[in-house]
Amino acid sequence: MFKKSMKKPLALFAAASLAAIGLTVPASHAASQTIQVYISADTNIQDLWVKTLVPAFKLAYPGYDVNVTFDLHGDHDAQETAKITAAAVLHKDPGADLIDGGFVTTLGAAGLLYRPTPGLMPNTKDLNKAVLAAGKGGIPYRASSVLLAYNSTNVPTPPATLDDLLAWIKAHPGKFTYNVPSGGGSGYSFVETVVDKYLSKSDLTTLAQQAAPELEANWAQGLETLRQLNKYTYGQNGTYPANNAETLKDLSTGLVDMGTVWSDQFSSALKAGTMPANIKVTAIKNPSFTGGASYLGIPNSSTNKVGARLLANWVLSPAAQNLIVSGTLNGFPVIPLNKLDPKAVAAFAGVDILNLRPTFISANANDLKSKWASTVPGK
Amino acid sequence: MISLRSKKNKEGSLTTKGEGPSLLGLGLSLPPFLLVLVFVGLPILIGLTFSLGFTTGPNRVIAIIGQQIHKKNHWWGTLGAYNDVIHDSRFLGDLSLTIFVTVLSTTLVLLLALSIALYQRLIGGRKASVLVTLSIVPLFVPVVISAWAIHTFYGGDGFMRTLFSHFGINFPTLTSTPSAIVIGTVWTSLPFAILMISSGLQAIPDALIESAKDCGASSLRVIANILIPLAKTPIIIAASFTSIGILGSFTIPLFLGPNQPTMLGVEISNFFGAYNRPQQSLVMAFIVFAVASGIAFMYVRSNIKSAKESGRL
Repeated sequence: MFKKSMKKPLALFAAASLAAIGLTVPASHAASQTIQVYISADTNIQDLWVKTLVPAFKLAYPGYDVNVTFDLHGDHDAQETAKITAAAVLHKDPGADLIDGGFVTTLGAAGLLYRPTPGLMPNTKDLNKAVLAAGKGGIPYRASSVLLAYNSTNVPTPPATLDDLLAWIKAHPGKFTYNVPSGGGSGYSFVETVVDKYLSKSDLTTLAQQAAPELEANWAQGLETLRQLNKYTYGQNGTYPANNAETLKDLSTGLVDMGTVWSDQFSSALKAGTMPANIKVTAIKNPSFTGGASYLGIPNSSTNKVGARLLANWVLSPAAQNLIVSGTLNGFPVIPLNKLDPKAVAAFAGVDILNLRPTFISANANDLKSKWASTVPGK
Repeated sequence: MISLRSKKNKEGSLTTKGEGPSLLGLGLSLPPFLLVLVFVGLPILIGLTFSLGFTTGPNRVIAIIGQQIHKKNHWWGTLGAYNDVIHDSRFLGDLSLTIFVTVLSTTLVLLLALSIALYQRLIGGRKASVLVTLSIVPLFVPVVISAWAIHTFYGGDGFMRTLFSHFGINFPTLTSTPSAIVIGTVWTSLPFAILMISSGLQAIPDALIESAKDCGASSLRVIANILIPLAKTPIIIAASFTSIGILGSFTIPLFLGPNQPTMLGVEISNFFGAYNRPQQSLVMAFIVFAVASGIAFMYVRSNIKSAKESGRL
């Protein structure tokens, strides 16, 4: 009896769920106006898109809908890269029209990104030509840099050059830290900067542009310098914080007086009150820490290239760039400062934001992370 | 399936071929078997071929993306990636740490679980029940949460150091050391071992303990000669499940362990993600798999032995 009475609702439910699945699969006319955005980053970037950019874009283009997929800390970068590569090989929909994540440059290097002509994306004319070319189809839309954060109460005059910084670390044992390079870009930047100190200009250019395993032997001197810092950095026997957030935590709780941080994460923490006001940031010279643009990418296999192109072009407009600069993110813009709100850009005095020192491309960076892990911590 | 077969054994018939109940048994066991075969067995096989340098077919995409890919140069493949891993300066340290933590933590877990379970079995009462209930709490705390809790407890600015510094004592910072991994893994593994061992001990009839005591056996002798031998199977099950869990642990060593050497679970993730060397990370996974198979062998052997003893096989 019970079974019988259950049968009808069950069948109805099954039919309804089948219908629901059926409705989501084919791209109806309305769905073609939906732009699938895939973000692989920290929560500050999620906030930038979900709370700031997407609502403003929808106001400007009411006919479009934006659907954001978020992957925290890029935990699934490898899978997503594989998915987009596979989609391109098999000519299938990759499920993403516009990607914001570190692996966009990898996709660009592999030739998997759609490269619209400048006529189709007029706002690219304001971009730094070299930065745009380095993306190989990736569109630079914001930038950030690694800076030296210091506790201004204990350190009245911070080091101005890398040599000064290295001397300061040795003079103040246990007061400096940087995170594991594989765990976050701020620690990676410190490692690469120390390694770069011993490299020729031509080596640096090559490493920033192409995989160059033959140059890796030249990293030895920098890695040895880093190994010797083990006994002076915070943590016993050369142990380092796991990620960017832990470096920020060690600074805010006063465990260390100095550390390397991302400009945007630091500004967000300061604004949110999780970073005390006596912690300040500065840029160093000879060489400076690395920094660079974050790229947007439109996969070749995207089913809505027109929408993706429209959104990317809008993000490069002065209106959207102002939002990136002044919102909770405090990112660096990628278009000339004179096109932006002068009040918002005042904070960038002292940092040459349109000429940031580029990092190694990902193939070399991956090898550096691996080399660091086998030669520095605990040695 | 077991109950069906044991029924037959009692009737003295061992051949089950072609009879109704065995078809039913086959039908019942087929779906999970097929599921494991397709969703676990097949990926393992594909992974094995990739680690041996087969870079076409299902491995084509990952071979395009990965770095330091070795392509096969014999009909059976190549050992290039295995060679890379064995000659990597990190590998021996990682493997030693993984085995050290697994052995030490499993021993500690078994000792602690056994002492709590014996206390409950021999002395019992309200206090013992409360103790057992409390010791199961970690089962309901997600591993990430407990890892962070332990991190803030033993960290450089943690509770222990703060407390001891009030008395002028410099308590060591335990985070980023193997000790912290052991503390974390013991915390997460203890509840299962206690559940397993205490239920095993509860199943031993009082009559056995009492008659031994009547013959003048001390409590230690009762534990060593009656309780532990009779609870051997649950103890071995607890030991093998605990050690396999610790062997493959990731969150605890990631949050609490040193950067280098690290446990293989973390190193596999580093090689797969940060260093983009999928082939080498698979090789490490197969090494962990081999060690775990050794433990699984002990588990299966003990199961078969106990099945034989109770006449089920």
